[in-house]
Amino acid sequence: MHADHEPRGTDTRPLDAATAPPITRPDAGISRRRLLSAVGAAAPLVADMSAIGMLRSPALAAELRKQERRVILLWLAGGASQFETWDPKPGVKTGGPFRAIPTDVPGIHISELLPGLATRMQHTAIIRSLNTKIADHGTAAELMECGRRNDPSVRFPDIGAIVARELGRLESTVPDYVSLYTSTEGRRKGTSGFLGARYSPMFLSESMTPPNILRLETITDVDHRDRAALRDALARRFTAESRSLAVDSHLSAYQRVQGMMASADLFDIGREPESVRARYGTTQFGEQCLIARRLVEAGVPFVKVARAWWDSHGQNFETHQELCADLDHCMSALLDDLRTRGLLEHTLVITLGEFGRTPGINASLGRDHFASAWSCSLSGAGVRGGVAYGKTDKEGHTVVEGEASAGDLFATILASLGIDPGHEYMLGSRPVPLADFGSEPITEVLA
Amino acid sequence: MQQTEPTAARTPDAVKVVKTHGLPAIPFCIATAESPGVAFVGMSDFAVHRIDLGADKPEASPIGEARHGSYVTGIVRVGGTIVSGGYDGALIWWDAGTGSVVRRVEGAHAKWIRRLALSPDGTRVASVADDMRTRLWDVATGGCVADWGDNDVKTPHGYPSMLYAVAFSPDGRFLATGSKTGLVLVRDAASGSIAGRLETPVMYTWDPKARNHSIGGIRSLAFSSDATLLAVGGMGKVGNIDHLEGASRIELFEWGNQSRRAEIEDTKYKGLVEALRFGPGDGWLVAAGGDNGGFVSVYATSDGRLLAQEKVGNHIHDVALASDGASLVAVGHQQISTVTL
Repeated sequence: MHADHEPRGTDTRPLDAATAPPITRPDAGISRRRLLSAVGAAAPLVADMSAIGMLRSPALAAELRKQERRVILLWLAGGASQFETWDPKPGVKTGGPFRAIPTDVPGIHISELLPGLATRMQHTAIIRSLNTKIADHGTAAELMECGRRNDPSVRFPDIGAIVARELGRLESTVPDYVSLYTSTEGRRKGTSGFLGARYSPMFLSESMTPPNILRLETITDVDHRDRAALRDALARRFTAESRSLAVDSHLSAYQRVQGMMASADLFDIGREPESVRARYGTTQFGEQCLIARRLVEAGVPFVKVARAWWDSHGQNFETHQELCADLDHCMSALLDDLRTRGLLEHTLVITLGEFGRTPGINASLGRDHFASAWSCSLSGAGVRGGVAYGKTDKEGHTVVEGEASAGDLFATILASLGIDPGHEYMLGSRPVPLADFGSEPITEVLA
Repeated sequence: MQQTEPTAARTPDAVKVVKTHGLPAIPFCIATAESPGVAFVGMSDFAVHRIDLGADKPEASPIGEARHGSYVTGIVRVGGTIVSGGYDGALIWWDAGTGSVVRRVEGAHAKWIRRLALSPDGTRVASVADDMRTRLWDVATGGCVADWGDNDVKTPHGYPSMLYAVAFSPDGRFLATGSKTGLVLVRDAASGSIAGRLETPVMYTWDPKARNHSIGGIRSLAFSSDATLLAVGGMGKVGNIDHLEGASRIELFEWGNQSRRAEIEDTKYKGLVEALRFGPGDGWLVAAGGDNGGFVSVYATSDGRLLAQEKVGNHIHDVALASDGASLVAVGHQQISTVTL
């Protein structure tokens, strides 16, 4: 790994007015968000801007590239086995019964349970050398979501909230962060931590459609729009006389609610052609992957789709036959769909859970929790496809090459999106880097 | 195994572990040898092993150089020949004496072979696999003489199904198979026509809410000597499907009239019933399996009453019952145990 990213900056943008600790007011140049707002407002003029040389500005060009980036996190809740997915060890005592199969990238083999993904390895980088040390569900999930252990004095935001803040747009009419977790076991909403409620996920647990976002039938559309116009007019008059962060936040919340009401159709996969729906299949995970594609296509920066529950203490091999079949089919369909629509180069698709599973096979033919040598995958935007980074020993007990921490993975994800992992938020006088202190992106998997 | 004087009316009143030996891998299936005290065992190291249980320190030794491509999960012996099947979908004929491979049938099934059963006359081997096919093989030639489907390849919830269990009736007329979703098909072993169809839905747990996958399935089958009774083994409904925490479960059918004579659930010794055998005279039935730990239990076939049981090492995958019903050899997780009944 190399620490060759750009010099680290300090982010003095305001955090959520209601929940954030005191912050330093902006005092240094144009903020990214203000820049993007300006660019967004002038979108029809982009060609002209290019003509006059504005896009030759490296900072602006980087921001525009970053602005297009999206993330779909396929959260393998409960902890998938690295042996049965990305790091097979056939023929050794710990290897289990499955074969390793070749992929479309010479030299890279993955489990036979992922035949579809094996033919799409050119888009995917595998990291086989995670050593994250924590092997209980709750703490480990928090670690992998936030890229660091929580601090009693600080609630850190998770990757979705950070991406929402860094890649979301104020004027966007779609949510910045959507999290689908329908199963009840290990269900986690996600946390925006000190970034505040503005970056909390739209959390869908009971249904695949956001509840209570449709206009009441007792209110006509005209009435609804009139009410919004009146509210805006009153708010503008108020803010002209007394501007405050709280009022801005209030206005922003109303605008976002209106946007979310307008985006209800994004969750309706019935609007997709039957042929597209068929490719994703009829499982809940498949339908949620299709929703994720619809959301990122509409501009949602971060979508998490949880597929529970991989915690195979008993019957590990039977469990993985079911769950890997689902993962392989749905993720293959997702990658193909994104690629066909020209979205894959802008969308990072991650498979990750809270940990992997033990090399040892217990008496119930299960594998238990294991965080010392396990795997994840990154596909699409910002990723060098066809790479298998890191190495575990012959039986998969330890990492022998390229050890990576949760922070390193977090930094890698941010870097792949064009976000400087060393960039700092200011919590009062305390600088908090986006990725944990000491972590570095794995440059070998970055495009 | 040592044979004791046949006593048809004898009913076990105790289960006792005589000795247990450790094994270097996980044994999934066992067949006894012609020589007393010798067993052949298919294991997770992809090999078939010979174990002399009469030795002071019994050790497992591969019977030859050849290996399956995955776990060895089915084994039968016909005279001096062993036939093994594995998760590699292959069948291998071995010379039991020399360990040399007599015949190898790659692609006998497209997916994992789960179990083998030998016809009573020793001329046919039945195999069941996760391609949901039931096939009969000519022991002498290795040719496939029958290929039957009739099981859904996917579960009702869209995931790959599995065909775990197979058993011949002692008269050779019938062949029963059991699937993950709890379907038992009893076939005429000559024609393949379906003579009976039984449902055991309790043995399949689908968890749509908490964990969104499944566990269970029919793991064992046994006919009574007159073929009128069919015992079906698995696990009851499971709350937390991360573990084998369901009650061990047996359903005893008078299958000819679709009648369920007994439903046996044991919450003391939980988990899968991996092996079932009728005792001489059909008055009792021995079951073995487990969660992490193993158990051997004996039940009356008249009403399903528990007669005797004992914890036996780790989760048991298969047993070989002595013809007199007085003892069995159980292969469990990295262990082999001799048990008296």
